[in-house]
Amino acid sequence: MTAGSKRAEPELRRSVTPWGSFSWGYSDVGADIFVGLGLVLAWAAGASNVAFLFAGIVYVCIGLAYTELAATYPVAGGGQYFVMRGLGDIFGFVAGWAVLLDFTIDVTLFAWTSVDYSSQLVPALVNSVHPWLHFGVVLGLVVGLCLLNVIGVRESTTFNGVVSALDVISETCILCFGFLFAFRPQLLIHTMQMHWPSSYDLMLGTSLAIISFVGLESISQAAQETQRPASIIPRTSVSLILTILIFALAYSNLALGLHPWHPITDAAGHSQQFWQIFPNNPDNQGKAVALLAAQVPYYGAFAALYVPVLGAVLLLISSNSGVFGSSRIAYAMSTSNLLPSLFARVDRKYRTPVISIVFFSAIAVVELIFAAAPALFPSVSSLYARFFHGENGLDFLADLYAFGAATSYSFVFLGLIGLRLTDPLSPRKFKIPLNIPMRFRGERVEFPFIAVIGFIGIFSILMFTLFTHPLGRIFGPSWLVLGLLFYLVYRRYRRLPVLRSQRRDWRNAQTEILRRAGELELMDEYLANVKASDARRAGLGT
Amino acid sequence: MISVSSQINVTLAGALIALLIAGLVGATLWWMLHPPESHVMRIAAAAERNLERIVGSLIVAFSPEIDSAHVMALAAKLARGERSELLALYVIEVPYTLPPDAEMTIEERAALDALGAAETIANKNNVAIRTETIKARSTKQAVLDVAKREKANLIILGSYREGKYSGAPLGRVIEEIAADAKCDVLIGVEGKHGTLLIDESVQSTSQEA
Repeated sequence: MTAGSKRAEPELRRSVTPWGSFSWGYSDVGADIFVGLGLVLAWAAGASNVAFLFAGIVYVCIGLAYTELAATYPVAGGGQYFVMRGLGDIFGFVAGWAVLLDFTIDVTLFAWTSVDYSSQLVPALVNSVHPWLHFGVVLGLVVGLCLLNVIGVRESTTFNGVVSALDVISETCILCFGFLFAFRPQLLIHTMQMHWPSSYDLMLGTSLAIISFVGLESISQAAQETQRPASIIPRTSVSLILTILIFALAYSNLALGLHPWHPITDAAGHSQQFWQIFPNNPDNQGKAVALLAAQVPYYGAFAALYVPVLGAVLLLISSNSGVFGSSRIAYAMSTSNLLPSLFARVDRKYRTPVISIVFFSAIAVVELIFAAAPALFPSVSSLYARFFHGENGLDFLADLYAFGAATSYSFVFLGLIGLRLTDPLSPRKFKIPLNIPMRFRGERVEFPFIAVIGFIGIFSILMFTLFTHPLGRIFGPSWLVLGLLFYLVYRRYRRLPVLRSQRRDWRNAQTEILRRAGELELMDEYLANVKASDARRAGLGT
Repeated sequence: MISVSSQINVTLAGALIALLIAGLVGATLWWMLHPPESHVMRIAAAAERNLERIVGSLIVAFSPEIDSAHVMALAAKLARGERSELLALYVIEVPYTLPPDAEMTIEERAALDALGAAETIANKNNVAIRTETIKARSTKQAVLDVAKREKANLIILGSYREGKYSGAPLGRVIEEIAADAKCDVLIGVEGKHGTLLIDESVQSTSQEA
């Protein structure tokens, strides 16, 4: 076939700007803070700020790992691609399959909680009162987000970008006015001294504070559609890490040292501190940011009206990130022969992976039905109580959510270590600090010490999830086993290596990745590195 | 009635932390939104800066030898995008055997057609256009003189008319203008099947059919 005789297949559009890339991550992480703050305050009490600090350290490790990998390998697929390239096909599949589980659950879980949040202002949406209406609205949201993503990434990115901007401004205002008008340093110290939790509660609080993982995955998944990814992604990732860390630490410290605008009393009429309204009160735990905002002098009068709405919208765009993420991972996995090529088809009109989007949105709908069944059909409720240890559908989804995230990110750290050893020639515009120089297979490499710390941290959380969540312990590994069986059958059918990796020309692949990314200077650097390495090896050979 | 605490706790530590939060968030986002330019971006920026200089004033030249109808639409779109001044010029070359102001009915009629079409294209693209017909002994010199008078940045020319091939690949007059012009010259040469201004997608669809 001669050059130019075949029309080029459409590729994903490079339309995601720096703010778009940031907002894809922020939409996930920002929403988690809306949910997580109350839970952490409930369990970690006077050590909530310390819990967020511990969680923040692991979060920073994960963030740095993703930043380096996404900037070095700007392709759709995120973690699974890094793992596949660093450890091999089968590990890449496991990591990708785990994240797929996570993102499909993300779609359902966050659409569901978005409606719950809205119910603060619209009581008809309360699930326990009108389950069918609640179910219908959540279903409508999932289908709507699916269509939005089918139309194209620019439209979805605009949607995310506007809401993220509003939320960043809003949260900054809440915190600034809160610290300015209602913060007592002495109260913070007093609370930390008098209400320090038990070790178990502190660990539980820390594990709850660590739910802010998936946002960074979204940035790396959008890498293939981001303009100049090697330059932009390190900035958006680092900015996201810093912004969320600032918000999390500031919220927790403000909550512990807040002098409430409206006096808070318990049932006996005794005065309470702000953080004391969260333990044993699930209603308050779910709307912590709104409650805190309302307690900020003057600004709180305005914030009490819009923060519940903003929280609901932010949760909704987090759900949108789930649709985006799952379709992009499937796209990348199918182009790597880890999933059937059906998922790699890009629609000629919209230039988006329509089949992937629709398929994984359909899985999200199945999960929604599963989660809503006990409320919709009372007879099903007893079945859940009998077989699922009394947990409801949403508990089940949350267990799997934690399992999927911890599994995939454990592999990502291993993938990062593997890539540092096996691919030292790829230029890394951003590199995790604290590296140990060494030689591996004749090349100078840098062993990432931070990745080891991060792996220990996230693997501990994986073990903790398996240990403390009976449903996650059963269904999480079951999802992986089911996926692996599908993978084995598919690879055998395609006559590809089943347990070993497919042979790939990573050098040409990396050149092509950098060329498509528009990172021509990095491409030149990579080619020069390859040439120098080949010359060195040839010299050694003679 | 909602009770409100009368105490507002403005402390130095609180004020400093508030300032720090606003500063850190603002600085972080500013840093994120201002990445360094790549080599390719610098090239593109330089080209854009030059664009206004290149296409500030456009002349589309016609003559019996120069068929520029097919590049007129291109010139109109360019002028609209860059808000350029657009002049459609028709040059009638008067042979030395005739006086300079000789009546040349056929050529003058052709000029009206060419400039009328140019006006129609310009109006359709919502672009202001001036038209001018001049008689001269040399087409090349006439075009260059008008370009000098108008301080034109770009002369746009079509290619030779079929049947008037004069030995030069693009047509003698066109090559002379391109060689001697003091400004940029854009020559639109039609392909074998005249595809210069045909929508590629429409063409491929028709070919597939």
